[in-house]
Amino acid sequence: MKKFISNSLALAGLIIITTVLLAAVLAPIISPYDPNFIDIESILIAPSYNHIMGTDGLGRDVFSRMLYGAQISLLVGFVAVGISTGIGIMLGSIAGFYRGWVDSLIMRAVDVMLSIPSFFLILAVIAFLTPSIWNIMIVIGLTSWMGVTRLVRAEFLSLRGREFVMASEAMGSSDIKIILLHLLPNSMTPIIVSSVLGIASAVLVESGLSFLGLGVQAPTASWGNILTDGKEYIQFAWWLSLFPGLAILLTVLGYNLLGEGLRDILDPKNK
Amino acid sequence: MYYKNIKLNLFILPLCLLLIGCGQDKSFESNHQNNYEKEDGGRLINAMTGEPSNLIAMIAGDSASSAIANNIFNSLLKYDESLNYAPEIAESWDISNNQKTITFKIREGLYWADGEKLTSKDVMFSWKLVTDPNTRTPYASDYQLVKKASTPDLYTFIVTYEESYAPALDTWTSLHILPEHLLKNEDVNSTYFSRKPVGSNYYKLDNWKSGQQVSLTRNSFSINGKANINNLVSRIIPDTSSQFLELTADNIDLMNINPIQYQRVFPSRKDLQDKIGLYKELGNGYTYLGFNLKKEPFNDKRVRKALNFAIDKNEIIKGVLLGLGEPLSSPYKPGTRWNNTKLKPYPYDSNRALALLNEAGYKKNNNGLLEKDGKVLRFEILTNQNKQREMTAVIVQRRLKEIGVDVSIRVIEWASFINQFIKTGDFDVVVLGWSLSLDPDQFNIWHSTQQGPGQFNFLGYENKRVDTLLEKGRLELDISKREKIYHEFSDILLDDSPIVYLYAGYGLSAINKRVRGIKRPSPPAGIYHNSYDWFIPKTLRRNEISDI
Repeated sequence: MKKFISNSLALAGLIIITTVLLAAVLAPIISPYDPNFIDIESILIAPSYNHIMGTDGLGRDVFSRMLYGAQISLLVGFVAVGISTGIGIMLGSIAGFYRGWVDSLIMRAVDVMLSIPSFFLILAVIAFLTPSIWNIMIVIGLTSWMGVTRLVRAEFLSLRGREFVMASEAMGSSDIKIILLHLLPNSMTPIIVSSVLGIASAVLVESGLSFLGLGVQAPTASWGNILTDGKEYIQFAWWLSLFPGLAILLTVLGYNLLGEGLRDILDPKNK
Repeated sequence: MYYKNIKLNLFILPLCLLLIGCGQDKSFESNHQNNYEKEDGGRLINAMTGEPSNLIAMIAGDSASSAIANNIFNSLLKYDESLNYAPEIAESWDISNNQKTITFKIREGLYWADGEKLTSKDVMFSWKLVTDPNTRTPYASDYQLVKKASTPDLYTFIVTYEESYAPALDTWTSLHILPEHLLKNEDVNSTYFSRKPVGSNYYKLDNWKSGQQVSLTRNSFSINGKANINNLVSRIIPDTSSQFLELTADNIDLMNINPIQYQRVFPSRKDLQDKIGLYKELGNGYTYLGFNLKKEPFNDKRVRKALNFAIDKNEIIKGVLLGLGEPLSSPYKPGTRWNNTKLKPYPYDSNRALALLNEAGYKKNNNGLLEKDGKVLRFEILTNQNKQREMTAVIVQRRLKEIGVDVSIRVIEWASFINQFIKTGDFDVVVLGWSLSLDPDQFNIWHSTQQGPGQFNFLGYENKRVDTLLEKGRLELDISKREKIYHEFSDILLDDSPIVYLYAGYGLSAINKRVRGIKRPSPPAGIYHNSYDWFIPKTLRRNEISDI
């Protein structure tokens, strides 16, 4: 913990993420307006005392929409990464532990998936499904497990020959037990780091999809679709593009700083 | 799906020659038109969002293609400034007493851009081509009504219809006449001619750089005489925000703008007002909310009327169009003879909406939602990726929620919208637009026989009286009798409420002030009607050294 505080970048990341988390959780309490309340009389008002981030093309309060949008962005980040990490750990463990043809098979699958530009794959899949927040999370999760798989496999391969694993094997422990009790806990560091970085990229992908109109559907707010709405007004309503853009930038930066910081702190080679 | 005279309106046609004008703009504009004498030459640059697919309009069917093709090809007839029929390739036409035969007299001494003679043979060829089952065109049906066509000599073309057909002359204003000598041995669906057309109008194709621009230059054999401007360049700029930046940077001369640019950007930018003129005219299309009449609960007229009462159209016009639109009460443009002025739009009245829904058996449940036999009144509004329609749907959703109707919104890309939902009838409610031709015939949209896959009555509207009226309207050539027919049709349609008329938006154009000769106020046929007469004074032209 001491090391964490002394690592100023990681701390900055943590502060940003905590702020966004708080904003998302407390949205119903702190948002001054209903995020979907349409007020035709106050369209496109510049930031002011009543609307600190201004209003959009339908007179909705941008600040309130940003708060609710934070919920979507974070939800997508966590669930998508949860799915991809889960798949990654499972496949990586199997490949790294059993090696042989299973390993080859899984690794070739990873190669195939990596050879397809994942954003376009996601676009293609979403075009077939109904664009909803759940579908997006699942699709992002299912297309981003390759990195974790490789990391876990590499860790397992190097741990597999170590004495404590052999000892456990000699004592007749089952494969599952060795994987869960001995190998996985010793591979956690790279998994945590890559998950934190993964959240950042999931947030970006969701924003990108919403920006293209394939993400969260109206009238639900997400940072990506606030940004798209703002595109049309960018000539004079700068607040509609600036705030969501800034929020995405800071959140992604926050996760990246936190991830990199965690790696520095948790990596024993850095001692 | 892409009919010529009735088109699902995907985006406002970039250079729509059919825009009908009436609105006159008072703001930001002094009369700058008369300070210069007409001058020859110069280059006019406009922008289009999509690349033309094919310059043979009967095959293409998209607005970008027809905008370009209209400058290259002619039809037998055209509309004049006040929307009366006027000669073009035909110098006169004569309707027989039984109203079934039309005799067109073709002008003598007309030439194609390659110097060949243009005669009735070319007209005959074009008619055969459009009605040929091997030609992949959506426009055939109008011309298939011609039972017999003949060319007694090189300058006469006679068509005979099975029975009198009121929109007949209108159809002859939009069939481009194509050169027989270049196309007779070609497959029109795939011919190279579609990228290298030879026409007879003011302009001919100069060059076409795929993905960049289409450039036209004056045709010295033009049958309409000489246009003032030497070059017409259409640049392909898919994103309208980028188009606007190009307009403000002086790289294009004209474009259609949106209400935000018109109402918010221009008033705040003196520099733009100084160099760009704004024009406003009511378009010939409208946006509506349509019910799938084959589905519960929309087969109940009371439900449809209730929803109509629950939607505030003025609020939508104010919010989405920033006031630049008109409410409607019939499927015809306000200000034309076909519009029945006795009809009034459904006012916003949530009490009447609730009363009608109660009458139809809906009661509020514990969650505040309307319910009948344990089923909540819940549906999905489907629309395509069009910001205005999406915003409209959001406003409608909010109003319906207030009376206890649970509405969700789904926005879909155009091609899958048409193929997966409209053609299969798999939808509850749509927000869409129609752009209409100048003829009042709407047989294709509302007649009960037009419900097949790909046909336009996809809402499934069926009304015996309306069927009769639409059939009668097609046969009636007397204009005041025709007017009565379509007024009654509008009356029934409004009462039946198969669609909720949302708004008719204004077409907004921004044109650089270097372009002169634009009529203001715009004539009924729209500001682009006399574009061949526009000119650019030498002193105002761009430096034309670059080869853009």
